[in-house]
Amino acid sequence: MSNIVKNNPVVKAILSSSRILVLLVLVIFFTAVTKGTFFSYKNLVNILYSVSLIGIMICGACFAVLLGGIDRTVSGNAALSGAIVAMTILRGGVGGGNVALAICLGLGAGILSGLIHGLILSRFNIPAFLLTLATNEILYGFVQLVTSNTLIYVNGCTLMDYIGQKRWLGIPIPVYIMLVCILFAYIILNHTVYGRQVYSVGGNRQSSELSGVPTRRVILIAYIISGFMGALAGFVLSSMNQQASAGQAKNYENNVLAAIVVGGVSMRGGSGSIQNAILGAFLIGVIENGMNLMGVPAIYKDMAKGIIIIVAVAMDMATQPGTPLYNFMKRFKKKAA
Amino acid sequence: MSEKNEVLFEMKNIEKIFAHVHALDHVNFDVRKGEVHALLGENGAGKSTLIKILTGVYTKDGGEIFMNGKEIEINSRDDAADAGIAVIFQELSLVPTLSVYQNILLGKEKSKFGFISDKAERNEIQALIDHYGFPVKANDIVETLSVAQKQMVEILKALATDAKLIIMDEPTASLSSRESELLYKIINQLRDKGVSIIYISHRLEEVFNLSDRITILRDGKNAGVIEKEDIVPSEVVKMMIGKEISESTASRELHTSDAEVELAVKNLTHLGYYYDVNFEVKKGEVLVLTGLVGSGRTEVIRSIYGADPFDKGEIIFEGKSIKPTIKKSVANGFGLIPEDRRTQGFSPLLSITGNVAITSYDKIAKGGFVNKADEDKLGHKAVQLTDLRPANPNVKVGDLSGGNQQKAVLGKWLTRDLKVILIDEPTVGIDIGAKDEIYNIIESLSAQGVAVLMVSSDIAEVLRVAHRILVMREGRIIKEFNHGVATQEDILLASSGFVNEKEAA
Repeated sequence: MSNIVKNNPVVKAILSSSRILVLLVLVIFFTAVTKGTFFSYKNLVNILYSVSLIGIMICGACFAVLLGGIDRTVSGNAALSGAIVAMTILRGGVGGGNVALAICLGLGAGILSGLIHGLILSRFNIPAFLLTLATNEILYGFVQLVTSNTLIYVNGCTLMDYIGQKRWLGIPIPVYIMLVCILFAYIILNHTVYGRQVYSVGGNRQSSELSGVPTRRVILIAYIISGFMGALAGFVLSSMNQQASAGQAKNYENNVLAAIVVGGVSMRGGSGSIQNAILGAFLIGVIENGMNLMGVPAIYKDMAKGIIIIVAVAMDMATQPGTPLYNFMKRFKKKAA
Repeated sequence: MSEKNEVLFEMKNIEKIFAHVHALDHVNFDVRKGEVHALLGENGAGKSTLIKILTGVYTKDGGEIFMNGKEIEINSRDDAADAGIAVIFQELSLVPTLSVYQNILLGKEKSKFGFISDKAERNEIQALIDHYGFPVKANDIVETLSVAQKQMVEILKALATDAKLIIMDEPTASLSSRESELLYKIINQLRDKGVSIIYISHRLEEVFNLSDRITILRDGKNAGVIEKEDIVPSEVVKMMIGKEISESTASRELHTSDAEVELAVKNLTHLGYYYDVNFEVKKGEVLVLTGLVGSGRTEVIRSIYGADPFDKGEIIFEGKSIKPTIKKSVANGFGLIPEDRRTQGFSPLLSITGNVAITSYDKIAKGGFVNKADEDKLGHKAVQLTDLRPANPNVKVGDLSGGNQQKAVLGKWLTRDLKVILIDEPTVGIDIGAKDEIYNIIESLSAQGVAVLMVSSDIAEVLRVAHRILVMREGRIIKEFNHGVATQEDILLASSGFVNEKEAA
């Protein structure tokens, strides 16, 4: 490779990020096996569309993970928000004022849920995994209460139809919503004091506290953002489906966490980026879509997803000093040399 | 009596060399049967090296080791255990959720076809406990026990393997005084049963009370062996230190003796930690709180900073009584260099800039947004002010050496307009060169008029940087020395609750 190509910033970025490289290889592979179907405009838009919901949730859950916590309630918040929006519209009609009220109530429920989680997790030493595992079940209980455990159809709501059906430049609206969320998370994490505080608290809460960082407030805000993003995803999901149900978005939290881990965000907190977490979502999305096109049975798709997660975690461990895998690689490299 | 004086264990002419440094130079050391033998020496005198050789962590470079008169080789921990030598670890190595007897027999369970007779094990261990008269039960779950009781389980673990020589390294460091008393009783009981104990402690008072004999090391050499009846505290201390250190740094005087008081505390009390603490720190003054670990020094400065509460008394900053919180303290121009930099001082994954800037966003951020150029300026400033190496503010602090990590922590505060800096054990685990640089930083802060309140156990360090020294003991200030007046001996004796006879006379 000539130096001009090597020094090109885009080429550099691709070569330095193993994830982009893997993504590229996968795209070429699937394009080849599907004789080009994979790389068609229609299919690429499909991938974008299928990743958009998870992408929105990642923009919230990522904050919790960067703080060394975890938020499994993104799915519960989404389901609850979708259900509240649908019920409010069902009861009060599709008038503009009522739709606005519905959205406020739906997103408000997510913010409230985040506030409660944030208050608990910033003040008490409870593992976030356990708390949100439990409260996610409670949230799904609320969803059943709101929907009376039935499927609720929303018909004739202009805004939801617009979000669910309309395309700009051939690309569905949810993709744009995801992009706005990514931009929001990116700016917060990279250009604000709050973002710096998130990385600092995630890296060492005690030292941050002694440096004057309001650690409790930092944690509280993270879960509020996560609650909001979950609720927003729920509203978008209901718009896509024109309906809400007691089981909607179930298990999405696992896909969200899988994407974050595949994206190389450390589960111990303090390192990782929103770009890479989203990249993780695309890696998983591309594999799912590619295998769909190839006609691979569902069981093998799940297995492949599991293997991808293991490989991603192994790749991260191999670059972190002190882990057995790192030591192994070092010995391996020495032998090779 | 003849049996009592029988030598159990002997080390002769032990040598250990690390990269041309003679860590142990022909050291002799012996322990009799049923004897408590203390090993004394300052940090770096060779105590831990000697212990590591006799427990198989290091191998000796020269000399001989005898057990019961027979020469033995100790090349591994297993060799040491086979010889009947056991260490009571400072960091307790027990499984908290298991019972006492399960812990004691861990890895040594006797099984028949893979099955264990629980009852037989329990009874066996209860018999062992009864034999030595320890206040624990075989059935107790370890996590419900006090620290002292956990130590007893560690001791029982050693005894269960027929250990004849038990090494206790700072066993009372984390014990309350009542728990310590309990441990002393246990030690005496063990001695009466014929167990030999090597005892290491910074607390001279307990060493003098417990020991049958004391071996003193200095600079890797034998400095003396003293029988119980010949112990004179000030003589022992002199042997540990060597020649009396003259006030080598007395030249550095406080030019601001008429400076105004920046910080004062009056009758400050945090029940259970410290009581009726009074002192003033002037602008540009370096006041050092010294004494033993656990004497309440760290707790005092944490209360002043607002990181811990206090019960009674007053904290006065620039003439006004304040109720500190960390946020207010930072805004007031306070800074804290915490006791354990790894857990409290920095975020290892963040760069030097990332760590330094976190204290200063009140100054450099606009409307909640950060400006990368301003942050970088701050990072460079910190690197420059502390002479950090590598001189690259983008390096992760976790990748730096201990001394440079501490400089990064200092950089957090040096880049701000400081009025008071609270520094807790700044040079623990730092090499000599970096230590000196940190002292220079402290001195330059003092020269700029910053009030420095420092906690340190390193007496050479205390003498080097302090304008004034307060000695704390069991939560109270018991002695004050002005600069150039105190010697190492004075401070060591005061910390342990002794009066220097010279002075008393």
